[in-house]
Parts: sequence; C-alpha cells; structure tokens
Amino acid sequence: MKAPNIRMGGLLAAPAVLYMVMFFVVPSLILFVYSFWTAASYRIMPDFVFSNYLNSLMSPLFWTVTINAILIGLVTASITLVLAIPVGYYLVYVSRSQVILYLILITWFSSYLVRIYAWRTLLGTSGVLNTILIQAGIVDTPVGVFLFSRFAVAITLIHIYLPFCILLVVSSLSEIKKDLVDAARDLGASPLGAFFRVIAPNAANGLVGAFMLTFVMVAGDYVTPQMLGGSSGQTTGLLIADQFRKTGNWPLGAAQAFLMFLVSIVIYLSVIGLGRATGLIVKRRPSKRAGV
Amino acid sequence: MVLKIVVWSILAFLLMPLVIIVLFSFHASPSLSFPFAGFSLRWYAEVLGNAQLGSALVKSLTVAGFTALITLILGAAASLAWLRLGPRGRAVLEVLCLTPIALPGLFVGVSLLVLFAQTRIQLSTVTIVISHVVLALPILIVAMRARLALFDPSLEEASRDLGASQMQTFGKVTLPLIAPTLIASAILAFAVSFDEFVVTSFVAGTETTLPMYIWSMMRRTVTPLINAISTLALVFSIAILFIAWLIGHLRRRSAVAGRTVS
Repeated sequence: MKAPNIRMGGLLAAPAVLYMVMFFVVPSLILFVYSFWTAASYRIMPDFVFSNYLNSLMSPLFWTVTINAILIGLVTASITLVLAIPVGYYLVYVSRSQVILYLILITWFSSYLVRIYAWRTLLGTSGVLNTILIQAGIVDTPVGVFLFSRFAVAITLIHIYLPFCILLVVSSLSEIKKDLVDAARDLGASPLGAFFRVIAPNAANGLVGAFMLTFVMVAGDYVTPQMLGGSSGQTTGLLIADQFRKTGNWPLGAAQAFLMFLVSIVIYLSVIGLGRATGLIVKRRPSKRAGV
Repeated sequence: MVLKIVVWSILAFLLMPLVIIVLFSFHASPSLSFPFAGFSLRWYAEVLGNAQLGSALVKSLTVAGFTALITLILGAAASLAWLRLGPRGRAVLEVLCLTPIALPGLFVGVSLLVLFAQTRIQLSTVTIVISHVVLALPILIVAMRARLALFDPSLEEASRDLGASQMQTFGKVTLPLIAPTLIASAILAFAVSFDEFVVTSFVAGTETTLPMYIWSMMRRTVTPLINAISTLALVFSIAILFIAWLIGHLRRRSAVAGRTVS
C-alpha cells in the first residue's frame, strides 16, 4: 500500500512541480546568470563580469534608494505588525468574529491600485484630508507635504499590507492555546504582561515571519513610491524596474535585484539575532507541535 | 473594552479609504473633495460608454478565467499528491510552490521577463496567463493545505478495502471531499489574477488588462471616473469573495461534516 502510494503521489505532484521549475526556478536562475552579463546600447551580451554588482555597490544613488527602501520597509513593517497584533489577538482569543474577518478579507482583496489611488485622492492638496483640516480651522492653506512624501508612501503601504499581516498574525497566534493565556491572567498578569511574557515568546517565530514577509513586500513595492513618493520616495524596486523598462540595462537590474534579496536576508538574520539577544525569541521546543 | 476600540479603529482605517472612493464615484462634480456636491450616476454612464475599458475588462476576465482553470488542474493534482507524499516530498512541494509568495512581485516579474526574452517567446495574453499561474498556484496550495490537514486518509483506504478501484475511490470518495475547497481556492486564484498588476506590467507586451488600464488613467489624472471603475472592481472582488465563502460554507454542511476535528 505504502510504496505505490508514494509513487502515485510523485506522479500527481509532477505537473505542479514541473510548472514551478520551468516558470519560477529556471527564470530565477536565468536572472542570476544575467547579473554577470554586460549590456551596451540596448544589446545584452553573455559575459562573466562582476561589474554590475561592483558598480551598484559603488554608486551613491544605489545606496540612497536602498537605504530609503530599508527605512520605509522597517518603519512600515513595524507599524503594520504593531497594528496587526491587537486585531490578531482579538480574533484568536476574544471573539472569532466572522464580520471582522470578512471585513479584513474584503480590504485584502480590494484592488491594489485602487487603494493607492484612494490615498492619492485623500492626501492631495485639494484632497479630503486637506479640505477637512481647512474647514475645521486647523490649517489655513492646504498641506502639500501629505502627498509625494515618505509619509504618504508609508501610510499607503501600511494600508495595503495590513490585512495580509493580520492574517499571518492570526495563523501564528492560533498555535498558542488559550489556556496558556488564561493561566497567565489567573496568575495575575495584565493583558499586556500576558502578551509579552506568554504569547510573544511562543509566537516569536510566527511574528518574526509576519514581520519579514511584510518587510520584503513593502521594501520591494515600487508602484506605491512611484505614485506617491515624489523624488524623496525613490526605492531600489523602482530603480530595478526602470532598468528593465526604461534604461534597458537588464544585467544591472538583475544584479540589483539579487543585492536587494541579499539585503532582505541580512535584515532577517539581524531581526533573529536581535530577538535572541533580547530574549524575545527562544529556540523552538521540538515537542510543541509533535502531536499534530 | 480598550482592545475592542483599538480593533475597530484599525478596521476603520482599513475601510475608510474604500468608503471615500465609493462615495466620490457618485459625485455630481468632477472634484474629489468636500463639500459634496450631490449624487449622480454620470461617471458610471461614462464607464459603460468607454470601449477601451470594455476590451481591457474582457482581457482581464479571459486571463483570470484561464489562470483559474490551469491553477485548478495543477493544484488539484498537487493536493492529491500532498495527501500521498511523505514529509520529504511535502517539503519539496511546499518550498517550490510557496517561495513565490515570499518574494516581491517585481522579482517574479523581471525573472519571467528574462525567461521569455531568452526563449524568444512573444509577450502576449499567453505569457500573462503563464505568469499569473506562478502567483496563483501558491495561494491555492496554501488554502488547500489547511483543509487537507483535516483530510482522513483512512476514508480512501476503507474505499479500497471495500473493493473500489483507484479510479472509483478517486471519483467517489476523494474528489467529492476536496472539490468544494478546490473550487473556492480556484475562485481566489481568479481574484488574484484579476487584480494582478506588478508582474503583468512586465510580461504583458502590448496587451492591456483592466489594472493596466486603470494605471494608465491614474498616472494622467484624478477623476471620479476612476472612482467609478474602482467601485465596480471592488463590488466584483466582494462578489467573488462571497461566492468562495458560500461554496466553503456549503461544504461544511455537506456529508463530510460528520467528522470531528479536535
């Protein structure tokens, strides 16, 4: 029974695996190979040079936009996680409210571009926020800095990725039994105390995962900075996208994409390291999920 | 109590921009700010009269339909495989099928672009569908995996013990059990494809899908016409979500419900 079962399994998995190898693994490898090629006047030539990487690393522009992307990413992902935790906590431990869950899903499935557009109309000089502020007498003239600033980019990215982050938090909190939280509360812990001393250490891996996924999405999002960031909001993503769409220097764009990937890994390791150093992340006990 | 207020304020933050979009899609004047000048359906009338928009919509529906179909077939086979594979096989399947979720669309978009360029495949509707499946398949598999964890393999064994062939077992036991979840997941794949913009912008060539059309409008101007299109897209997404929920809900009430999970 067992052996043919596994062979059958392999056979059934084959189409999906083959598809992902052909259209995900192979393209990623080609992109990696491209990053060592050279480009001259819109022609791309096979080569083996490190100049795409070296030139990027030596370019002040690359560092400016990358630091911008990292800052926007860290700030946005942190705020997103901080907002996602109370909602996740509420959904897992207080009330499994279907209404709230579906409201979150509706925002998650509402169009990405529509949400960028929404913030554009909200934050513009003749936008809703400014007209409200003027009519309330808080400001006399429209505040121009709302739009085309890091603030605009950050608030829009939070809005776009918060539903996704909430769902990740819900799934990581679901692994921690309510009894554990109740026990902590019975022993006199405050709700915040229970969160930091019981939930956070147990859910640390899931929460770090939620933070990192949000960071990667946010730091790699180039449409929002392009639409709302003005000149101050340029990020690596936009730089990379422009190499493929405008400049035509694909090898350089490929190298920068892999550098961005490397940056994400460094950030991930730093977050884990920071968590271990502060004691918020404890090594996973192997017995925890053994029963599943 | 404090928590409840916090949670609802966060939800208000999530919903408020969408409400504003819908509100101004009915605005009688072309301005997008208060004071509100009264209700009108003029922007919806304009949407209906816009031929380019119509062809972009048809393109998006076609792409999303094919994406959902291909994703459904690949995902159904992969789900059945998942039930039969050992931990190592499952790990391979998961790493391959889940990694694209953890990468920005930009990365997936440019790597598909270099693949198509390198193999000299002309960018067209076909390349859009191929790319959308790469994004939709992982989502289908995530959605399926949660459900399959509850699947009881002994049901299949019982069927085989009672003399059913492998095909009969598949058709009469396995498929009816996983079909509702599969269809609900395929609808999600449809929704993902229908809204996809970042990857599409790299692999579409000269084709225009609805999000690409919205993007080109958005870059030029801010008008309630975009609000009207956005509102329709929003209603469409909610409808899709509702259908997926309905199918999932019916599933729970079907004969499978006998099993307890605790």
